[in-house]
Amino acid sequence: MCFKNLPVAFDENGKAYLKEGVANPYAVTGNTRVRTQEEKIRSLLAKNGHIKEVSIDPVTRVAGALAFHSVVNLQDRRVEDAHSMATLFRGYEIILKGRDPRDAIFISSRACGVCGGVHSNCAAEAIEMALGVAPPPMGVVVRNLGQAAEFLYDHPLHLFLLSGPDYSAAVLGATNPEILEKAQRTRAPGAAVHGYATIGDIMEALNPLTGRLYLEALEETRRAREMTVLVWAKYPHPQTIVPGGISATVTSQTLNEYQTRLAFFMDYSKKMIHIWDDVYDFLYEVEPRFHDVGKRPRNLIDLGIWEHHEGYDATYKNATAWGDRRWATPGVVIDGELLTTSLHTINAGLEEFVDHSYYTDWTATPPKFKTDELGNPLSPYHMWNKQTLPKPEGRSWREKYSWATSPRWDRQVVEAGAYARMWTTAASQKIPKNPYIETTGKSMKMVLPAASLPEMQVEWHIPAELNAIERNRARAYAQAYTTLVAFNNLLAAYDLMKQGNTAVSNEFSIPKDHRMGVGFWGAGRGFLSHHLELENGALLNYQICTPSTINASPRDPFGQSGPYEEAVMNTPIIEQFKSDEDFKGADILRTIRSFDPCMPCTTHVYAGTQTIVREVNTCACVLEEEGEPVPVGGD
Amino acid sequence: MATSPAPPVVATRRVLVAGVGYRNLRDLSVGPLAIERFGPSTETIDVEDLSYGPIDVLFMLQRREPYAATIFIAAVHRDRPPGTVTRSRWTFPEIAPDALQERVAEAVTGVISVDNLLHICGHFGALPADVTVIEIEPTDDGWGEELSTEGQRALDSAVALARLEVARVLAS
Repeated sequence: MCFKNLPVAFDENGKAYLKEGVANPYAVTGNTRVRTQEEKIRSLLAKNGHIKEVSIDPVTRVAGALAFHSVVNLQDRRVEDAHSMATLFRGYEIILKGRDPRDAIFISSRACGVCGGVHSNCAAEAIEMALGVAPPPMGVVVRNLGQAAEFLYDHPLHLFLLSGPDYSAAVLGATNPEILEKAQRTRAPGAAVHGYATIGDIMEALNPLTGRLYLEALEETRRAREMTVLVWAKYPHPQTIVPGGISATVTSQTLNEYQTRLAFFMDYSKKMIHIWDDVYDFLYEVEPRFHDVGKRPRNLIDLGIWEHHEGYDATYKNATAWGDRRWATPGVVIDGELLTTSLHTINAGLEEFVDHSYYTDWTATPPKFKTDELGNPLSPYHMWNKQTLPKPEGRSWREKYSWATSPRWDRQVVEAGAYARMWTTAASQKIPKNPYIETTGKSMKMVLPAASLPEMQVEWHIPAELNAIERNRARAYAQAYTTLVAFNNLLAAYDLMKQGNTAVSNEFSIPKDHRMGVGFWGAGRGFLSHHLELENGALLNYQICTPSTINASPRDPFGQSGPYEEAVMNTPIIEQFKSDEDFKGADILRTIRSFDPCMPCTTHVYAGTQTIVREVNTCACVLEEEGEPVPVGGD
Repeated sequence: MATSPAPPVVATRRVLVAGVGYRNLRDLSVGPLAIERFGPSTETIDVEDLSYGPIDVLFMLQRREPYAATIFIAAVHRDRPPGTVTRSRWTFPEIAPDALQERVAEAVTGVISVDNLLHICGHFGALPADVTVIEIEPTDDGWGEELSTEGQRALDSAVALARLEVARVLAS
């Protein structure tokens, strides 16, 4: 059926099994692709002065955790080679070992500075599966409301504050003034909705620190955070998400206050879609090479998110059934085709490799779990079999160069993102029936109710290509999608309240026997899984796989580059520059930022005897010292 | 959102004493520890842990009546002798827009940093003209709750300096 590389087939009942006659079904054979490529690059660098090594370190400066190295042929305007490096060790897996499972909700939340709530929810679902407890309907709905609000913060943050400046007048004026000039003369088709007469006006408004759209997004992050706090009581790092539901009190006043703020996002979504459609359609028209910026095969993965309150029972046995009832449908897309929406099948195809990462391979010992509880085969490289064995060493492009691992599905390079979530949901047509979101198999139609702006129908089409622009465009539509998921859940909450069905949590106990669990969830930037093993009431193993781990992954044992690397190597150099020194790497940055890298998700704390996050920048020059430094103990 | 760097008009003489830093990173946690040591808020002194994303701090300061002065306490690596305590006046230095945007990007993605806080809140006009920064040079920045000997002594000095600063502001 859907597996191409792993020897997994399905019987007439849809149950997966390993094909007979394969001696070592999960064998990893060596490859020479990496070595050959490395030798080719060395030779090119030695012979050609116009080939330049560009190190962007760090891309986000977030805790200095992501560095990107590329070799650019400035004469031919192409990228010859690229390496994505997570420069810090995360180590949550080690911190969580031996702890009470409930700790995972609060500790794993710290894996991300933007979206801690997604880890809390993911951990809660993994624990619920192990404990055998599910939240009551209102508990599910309130989790969804908080989760949607967290994304309503995250999407504009990405589009206007992080990746948006790449398309601003300030950046384009410096790298491609000819494009900016045309933009200033081009009418914006969506002006009636967003209020900007020309594309140039939009680009001016995208200018960092001064542009109207930038400042508006900065301000509105507050509103989305308020919504999260209303239902989760605290943010960041909510303390109210617990196994079996939530521990916050939700009243009709809470829901009313949430709704008041949600109304703003109805209009904001309309504006966002028209702004970004205008900018991206214009860029395609004036510079067709934008189709190739950040391009890679249409291979995507998503685990779905937002349980349906009448569907979720927290069991592994029924995971595919409740997964299919979610407000975002799980799925794997290969070459643009949706292969499966089954959480069991998706789980069976997951593997994590460390051949080019600073870890020791754990597969020398036989795998603990050859199948899941339903008999679906599991690889020795599957998260339930994985052990985190850090092994710091020097950097070598041929050998090891990153603290990120290489997660793969069916040994194929898949990428995670909000666009993957929209893609699998639109293609599968399994979204719960509702008045506002309709999926057609090729698109997602959304009706945004009237607020200050009139009711508006918008439609996101599954794109024919996957590139930087389409990643970002989908993110703008994801804001509308998220707003409407929140609205549907708000209406469900009102209904439940009317019925007197207001319980938000169920009781649970911590078992002493052996249990397994997995959280299939998603961050604003896509796929998120937490796999756990529980024994004697404590965590025996805990494995987190984040979207940034998937997207920032280094090469795998088969020689395949990770999504960032692959997308950058396919990127043409559109940027104008007079000399090598003038080259800014704008197209490379545009590509990487389209994935919304959040490296604290991938790399963070260090275990063992050393530290964590070497903190940001230090800049003594900004301080005007008042005399000599005060000695210790003195004033 | 205001973009003017002009300091707000002071309505009352209230002082904010704030600690900034990550917890459980030994000497790097001096900021939050210092405000615990400083004592509770009073009618004229707000004592707070501002170890949050600087954008959240910005929003909070924008909502409040302007302070007459703010005093920030933090541990920062600046290649000084370990345990050094410095008291400095923030001079609202200009930095390149690109550099400031990088700091905003860090702020919205959750990084806690006194430098980012000062630059961002200063840029958006949320700080009073009188801003004092009391810093210690960390010795041990490993994982844990305990301070180094130098860090512990520096903490005492930082708190004492903060008290002197508060007295100066309220007396003026």
